[in-house]
Amino acid sequence: MSITAIPERPGRSPKRKRSEDSPNGGIPQYDGATDGAALQYAYDEEMPSELQSPEEQELDGAPAKKQKVERPTRLNYVPYMTLRGHKRGVAAVKFSPDGRWIASCSADATIKIWDSKTGALAHTLEGHLAGISTIAWSPDSKVLASGSDDKIIRLWDISTGKCTAAPLIGHHNYVYSLAFSPKGNMLVSGSYDEAVFLWDVRTARIMRSLPAHSDPVSGVDFVRDGTLVASCSSDGLIRIWDTSTGQCLKTLVHEDNAPVTSVRFSPNGRFVLAATLDSCVRLWNYVEGRVVKTYQGHKNEKFSISTAFGTYGVEDDKPAEVDGDEEEQKRDWAFAACGSEDGRTVLWDVSSKEILQELKGHDGVVLSVDVGLEDQTIITCGNDKTIKMWKRQPLPVTNGTNGTNGTNGNHEPSATEPTAGTLDEG
Amino acid sequence: MNLPLTDPTLLAQDIPDALTARLRSSGPAVCIRFSHAGDLLASGTAKGTIAIFDLETNGVARKLKGHTAGRTVQSLSWEHSGRYLLSSSIDWKVILWDLKDGSRVRAVSLGAPVYIAALHPRNHLQCVAALYEYRPVLVDLSAGSKVVQHALPNLPKRAPHELDAHPDKADAKHFTTVAAFTPSGAHVITGTTKGWLNVICTATRETIYSTRLCSKPILLIRLSTSGRDLLVNASDTIIRTIKLPDLSSPTLQPDSINLAVEHKFQDVVNRLSWNHVAFSSSADYVMASTLMNHDIYIWERGHGSLVKILEGPKEELGAVEWHPTRPCVAATGVESGRIYLWGVHTPQRWSALAPDFAEVEENVEYVEMEDEFDIHPEAELIKRRLDQEDEEVDVLTVDEEQLEREGAMRRGLGVEIKTAADEGGADGGKKGAVPAVSPFRMPVLLDINESDSEDEIVAIGTGQFRRKSTAREDAGFGDEDVHGEEHVGSKRRRGD
Repeated sequence: MSITAIPERPGRSPKRKRSEDSPNGGIPQYDGATDGAALQYAYDEEMPSELQSPEEQELDGAPAKKQKVERPTRLNYVPYMTLRGHKRGVAAVKFSPDGRWIASCSADATIKIWDSKTGALAHTLEGHLAGISTIAWSPDSKVLASGSDDKIIRLWDISTGKCTAAPLIGHHNYVYSLAFSPKGNMLVSGSYDEAVFLWDVRTARIMRSLPAHSDPVSGVDFVRDGTLVASCSSDGLIRIWDTSTGQCLKTLVHEDNAPVTSVRFSPNGRFVLAATLDSCVRLWNYVEGRVVKTYQGHKNEKFSISTAFGTYGVEDDKPAEVDGDEEEQKRDWAFAACGSEDGRTVLWDVSSKEILQELKGHDGVVLSVDVGLEDQTIITCGNDKTIKMWKRQPLPVTNGTNGTNGTNGNHEPSATEPTAGTLDEG
Repeated sequence: MNLPLTDPTLLAQDIPDALTARLRSSGPAVCIRFSHAGDLLASGTAKGTIAIFDLETNGVARKLKGHTAGRTVQSLSWEHSGRYLLSSSIDWKVILWDLKDGSRVRAVSLGAPVYIAALHPRNHLQCVAALYEYRPVLVDLSAGSKVVQHALPNLPKRAPHELDAHPDKADAKHFTTVAAFTPSGAHVITGTTKGWLNVICTATRETIYSTRLCSKPILLIRLSTSGRDLLVNASDTIIRTIKLPDLSSPTLQPDSINLAVEHKFQDVVNRLSWNHVAFSSSADYVMASTLMNHDIYIWERGHGSLVKILEGPKEELGAVEWHPTRPCVAATGVESGRIYLWGVHTPQRWSALAPDFAEVEENVEYVEMEDEFDIHPEAELIKRRLDQEDEEVDVLTVDEEQLEREGAMRRGLGVEIKTAADEGGADGGKKGAVPAVSPFRMPVLLDINESDSEDEIVAIGTGQFRRKSTAREDAGFGDEDVHGEEHVGSKRRRGD
């Protein structure tokens, strides 16, 4: 995810109605002669001059000026691989911070580590006595923490596949959610026993016990510099805690008080994304304490489904011609992803709230989503005991249709049939 | 990122007031230093080990063993990014540690017990050391095995007319006790046993300016982070602050330097003498620990008045240090060897737990608005709520201050900022910051007992070797001391 300071971004009025059917919904001038695909991705010479392509800029000899790059309105992630092996539903799936591994945990009390490029199973970590709800990678990608219904958190060394000597014992009920601090020296855990514990990883001891909620804590997350912890619970509250003093700094509560099932800080740490059991995902500005965005379109009323942030940019099939400056701005829009109880995974653009894509393929509820390092891979897992990997492809080009709208190529890329050349075994 | 959420009155408090933690590991702590980022505290012990504490967890991050066992570690000096640490001890050695793996990058014996050794602020392979009853040295560690030592003058620079008046024999016992680099590294400031302060140019290794502050030995000098203020502790129980001219300015004329004393702090009532002195993070305050007393005195530099006396432990305090960014103070206890940490006491704000309620000073008569309890149709409420969500939201860009705080951008060191700004002027986004350097992250070791950095194989006879067992040191905070070293493990510890 890009963390560079970007001076200017193309702002678009979100009030514009963008109907999914019109292929050139993003262009100010609705010109029937232009074809959908050319507008969005393939920078050809026949481009209308409103959209300055990099090649045209160079031809014009114009000075390096920030050009308006159109934000794509659809994404195309296609299924790439399915990883099978768990014997019961898979509760969580996570990429390692260096992108090499995928870890998945399941109700069958095992954790499986897969190679992210080939999908080969590297380790199966056994040791827990009951199903595992949550896993978290340490920032150096060497250690994996897992929290289980047997009330214990275990730390696993990935290189050997063995559990470290000291399990973290202290919770009185199921451990539901885990997060590592960005430095890797602290771990925060939320549990069914309504408390949030801050652990010192080196000594495997509890540093602080936060009396966080009055109902099971369903999600915890650390902010990017490790000074804040967010926790959410079935009592509908999201609380922000200061790590060094252990005090609550803020409580976010929505009027409806719907149970919150997962909480995640945005990549820049200024917003919090919360998924609730009223089929909504909300983006909160926690300093002001108000909701800034609500995303709807999926179904979430019973299960703890977790969310993820990802970034996307304009697909450019001629990277060599792109200006050095533009390389950094390749991916500067963010999307939020959440699974749904009907087997879909929905991706929304963060600012405009429109649905960028719905990934279909799972059979049953999709419990967890994670987005890879380069943001061209998404992994999802669910109750159907499988993990699916999705890779981003350029949108299918429509063949020269003029003026007609709603060509199926642009609409909902059917994720069920794999496009040519993709694998489907793991 | 907790600053926008913190109570502003608490943010304004810049002097600590309450004891927050007690730390102890690997032996009685003698000297302590905060890392420049403020997340680690290195402590040198009387046993020769160095324990590095992680301040977020108050636990031991690493133990460094390499100095002769039983010889006190006298001084520590951090490199700017926090990756290298220089330690010096009375066993004549100066060791440069790499904290990435705990290894010794260089270990040099300087020929005399080392009082204080400081790393060059820009180059971790250069350091200055003040030796006991010997001349100070500028050590160049760049070449791997060959270590070059350049002697620095002990004697002050005297005006020509004074030279005749001072015969050589008075100069015989004139040694340098402390040495420190200025933030640019271009000059070294030293203090001597006769109360002189010398400014030595690093490149030419000549004294360019000297001034006599008092007749007693100078015990400690410290520079503020800006390099414009100097703090001097001398045996005459007076603490002096001096404003320095900008020594890195190219127009500086050595003859025109005039170091005038700004403030003199002393305790006239009890005539206490000071063990150790330090500046606060912004150099607004000066603090000192007292000999034979349990307090830390804090003065404010604007008026030169005493603002606070920190108390807590019932023992004499040795070294005191101020945290580089937060209002936090660490001090070592002379008898127990513990490290005490003071911080600002933050009470829990109850309005943070219930957002609808605000804390008020007294009862307020509430008058509700006309339409406050009207019932609106559900759909209308939802539509109104969704319509208010129209603004652009940016979840990706991190502002530069935050990146700086996280250490991702190296902004310090003055000169680099100006040149980058000149080049990158057209691109507004770069704002003159140096390109992002990934910060050094201290690796998290899960089994701290195995992080000994000493050699593992010891010779016990001709051709016979033994693996040194890792003795369980007493570690952790608040635990009562366990004299572990005496009855566990290696009985035959040959001092090496």
